[in-house]
Amino acid sequence: MTVLEVRNLQKSFGQIKAVRDISFSVNAGEVFTIIGPNGAGKTTTLEMIEGLVSPDNGEIHFGDLDWNKHAVSIKKKIGVQPQSSAMFDLLTPEENLNLFASFYDHARSAKEILEIVNLTEHRKNHVKKLSGGQRQRLAIGLALISDPEIIFLDEPTTGLDPQARRNIWDIILHLKELGKTTILTTHYMEEAEKLSDRVCIVDQGNVITLDSPSALIEKLTDEREIRLSFLDGEGAAVDADIFSKVLESVSKTEREGATLKIWAAKPEETLLDLFKFTKEKSFGVEQVSIREMSLEDVFIAFTGKEWRD
Amino acid sequence: MRLPAKNGGIKINRYHQFKMMFLAQLKLTLREKQAWFWGIFFPVILMVIFMVIFSGNSDEEFKTEVAVVDPSPNPASEMMLSQISGLPVFEVKSGKPVARDRAEEWVKDQEVDAAIILPGSAEASSVTLLINKENEQGAAAQAVSGILDKFIQQANLMAAGASPKYDLQYESITSGTNELDYTDFLLTGMIALSIAQGGMFGMVDLVDMRRKGLIKRLRMTPANMGIFGLSDMVMRLLFSIVQIILLSLIGVLVFGANLYINPFTLIIVFLIGALSFNALGYFFSSFSKTTEAYMGVANICSFLMMFLSGVFFPIETMPEWIQPISSILPLTYFAEGLRESMVYETGIATAGLWAGIGVMTLWGAVTFLLGSLLYKRKAIAADR
Repeated sequence: MTVLEVRNLQKSFGQIKAVRDISFSVNAGEVFTIIGPNGAGKTTTLEMIEGLVSPDNGEIHFGDLDWNKHAVSIKKKIGVQPQSSAMFDLLTPEENLNLFASFYDHARSAKEILEIVNLTEHRKNHVKKLSGGQRQRLAIGLALISDPEIIFLDEPTTGLDPQARRNIWDIILHLKELGKTTILTTHYMEEAEKLSDRVCIVDQGNVITLDSPSALIEKLTDEREIRLSFLDGEGAAVDADIFSKVLESVSKTEREGATLKIWAAKPEETLLDLFKFTKEKSFGVEQVSIREMSLEDVFIAFTGKEWRD
Repeated sequence: MRLPAKNGGIKINRYHQFKMMFLAQLKLTLREKQAWFWGIFFPVILMVIFMVIFSGNSDEEFKTEVAVVDPSPNPASEMMLSQISGLPVFEVKSGKPVARDRAEEWVKDQEVDAAIILPGSAEASSVTLLINKENEQGAAAQAVSGILDKFIQQANLMAAGASPKYDLQYESITSGTNELDYTDFLLTGMIALSIAQGGMFGMVDLVDMRRKGLIKRLRMTPANMGIFGLSDMVMRLLFSIVQIILLSLIGVLVFGANLYINPFTLIIVFLIGALSFNALGYFFSSFSKTTEAYMGVANICSFLMMFLSGVFFPIETMPEWIQPISSILPLTYFAEGLRESMVYETGIATAGLWAGIGVMTLWGAVTFLLGSLLYKRKAIAADR
C-alpha cells in the first residue's frame, strides 16, 4: 500500500534549481531513504513533502490527502524531525513533549516517548544541557508524540559519535517493528544500507536510481576486487600478476609491492586458480580478501562522484 | 506560504493548547536570566541610581537657608522681612534678623547659602545679597538670587502701585513642590521606560526562534500559531504588570513617591502602550536576521527614546530644537499617559490624553502592519 506519492516535484530558489524532477512513492511500513551529496535537493524535497515549502510544480499525495485541502489532517498524520533539532532549550524533554502533545487531539504520553528514545533518565534536565545525541533523540521523540503513521527523519545521525548513531538506528528499527513508515535522509551509506528497505539516490535535483540496497548493488557490474598479500615479497606478487592476467574472468590487475589487486567477474573461480598456482610455487599468502560492493560503489557508479561523509 | 486550511471538522482543544503554550512561555521567561536582568533588575537599579542622584534634596523639597540682616528696621524692611519669612523656599536662620557681622560670618563658613540685607530706610531702594564667592555658581546661590530678583520686582510693582501679582507667583512655587515631585516624575518615567524596553527588546525571542528553526518546527504541527502569539502576548503583559507593581512599590515605599491612580485610565494607557512597544519589537524582528542585529536596532531606539522622551527630565528642559523630535516619539506619550493616570489621577475623558493614546496607537498599528508585511514578503522570497 502506498502511503505517500510524489510526482514530478520542481522547485527553484531564484536562479537555483534545487529540485528539477523528483518522483517516488513510499509503501506503508518501509524505511525509505533518500541519499545524495550536499545540495542534491534532499532537504528541499522533504520540506515540500512536509508542507513547509510549496512546490513550483508537481504533486504530493498522502493517500487521498493533499496539502491544498487537508493541511491539518496531513499534519496529524506525519511526524517530523527537521535537520536543525529545533526545540525549546529552556524547557525539559518532558515539558517539550507535553507542549507538543497539546497540539494534537490524540497524542502518546511523554513517559512512553521518553522510554522509546531512552531519555527517561534526563527528562528533568533542561534541553540545553543535553548532549548532541540526546538532543537528536528528543527531536525524534517530538516527531513521535502524535503517534504518526509517517515519520520524517532528516539526517538524524549527522555529527553524532558511533555509539549515539547506533542508538538512533535502534530507534528506527523499533519504529519499523511497530509498523511505522519512515522517510529518512542520511549522509552515511552504512546507515542507508543497514536500515533501508529502499534507497533513492538523488543528485542535482533528480532521482538517479531507486531500489532496495541489495538490488542496487547487484545492478552494478558483478566484478569483485580480490586482494592478496604475499609473504615472499615482490617477486611472488609479480609472478602471480603475470599468471592471473591470462585468467579468463580477470579484467584488470594492479600491483603495489607485495600486494596484488585483481578484478574478476567470477571471484571464486579466480581465487581457486590463484591458490592452485601459489601452492605449486609454494608462495606463502599473508592476506586474502574479496571486497564486497557497497552502496558507496553504487553511489559512485551512478553519480560519478566520490562519496564524502 | 501555505496556511493551514480549515480542518475538516476535527476539534482541537484550544483552551488546553493555550494553557500549555502559556505555561511554556511562563517557564521560558522565568528561566531566562536575561529577562530577569533587563526586565526587573536593570530598571530597578536605574531608578534607584537616578533617584539617589537627582532627588537628594527632594525629601525637604527645595529649601535654602538664608540669613536676614535688618540694619535699621523700617516699614519697608519689615514688610519685606515678613514676606521673605513666608516664602516656603527660604528658611531664615535663627528665625529673625541678625547683625551684619554675624551674617557675613555665616556666609563665609557656608552655614547659610546667602544673606539678604534689607534696605536701611523706607527710601533706600537697594537690597543686598551676600553670597560666598566659592558658591557663586552653585545651585542654591543661583536659586536664591533668582527668587530674590522676582521678589524685588514684585515689591517694585507694589511700590509703583501696580496691581500685585504677588500671590500668583507664590502659588506657582508651592504647587510645583507639592505635586510635581521629582520622585513621582522619575518613577512614572521609569515604569514607562521599562515596559517600553520590555516590548522593544523582548521580541528578540522571535528572531532566536526563527534562527533555530523553532517557528518552522511549530508550523509542521497542527499547532494554532494564533494561539501561540496570543499566549506570548499575555505572558508579556503579565511581565509588564509585575514591572509596574514592583517599581511602584519601590518608588512609594523607599522613595516616598505619591501616587494617585485612576485605574481605568491606567489600564487603557498601559494596554495601548505595552501593545504598541511590542509591535515595535515585532517590526524590528521582521527585518533582523540575527539576534545581534535585532539587539543593535533595539538598543539605538531605546537609547534615543530614553533621553528624548522625558523619562528622566521634563521635555521642557531640553533644547528647543529637540522638542519636536520628542513630540513624535511614542515613549513621550506613554510616560505622559502614565503620569496622568498614576500621579494626577486624570480621568479618561481628557483630550490631551487621547491625543497621546492616538500617537501610540498609530505607532503600534503602523509598525505591526509593516512587520507583518515584511514577514510575509520574506516567506515568499526565501521560502526556506
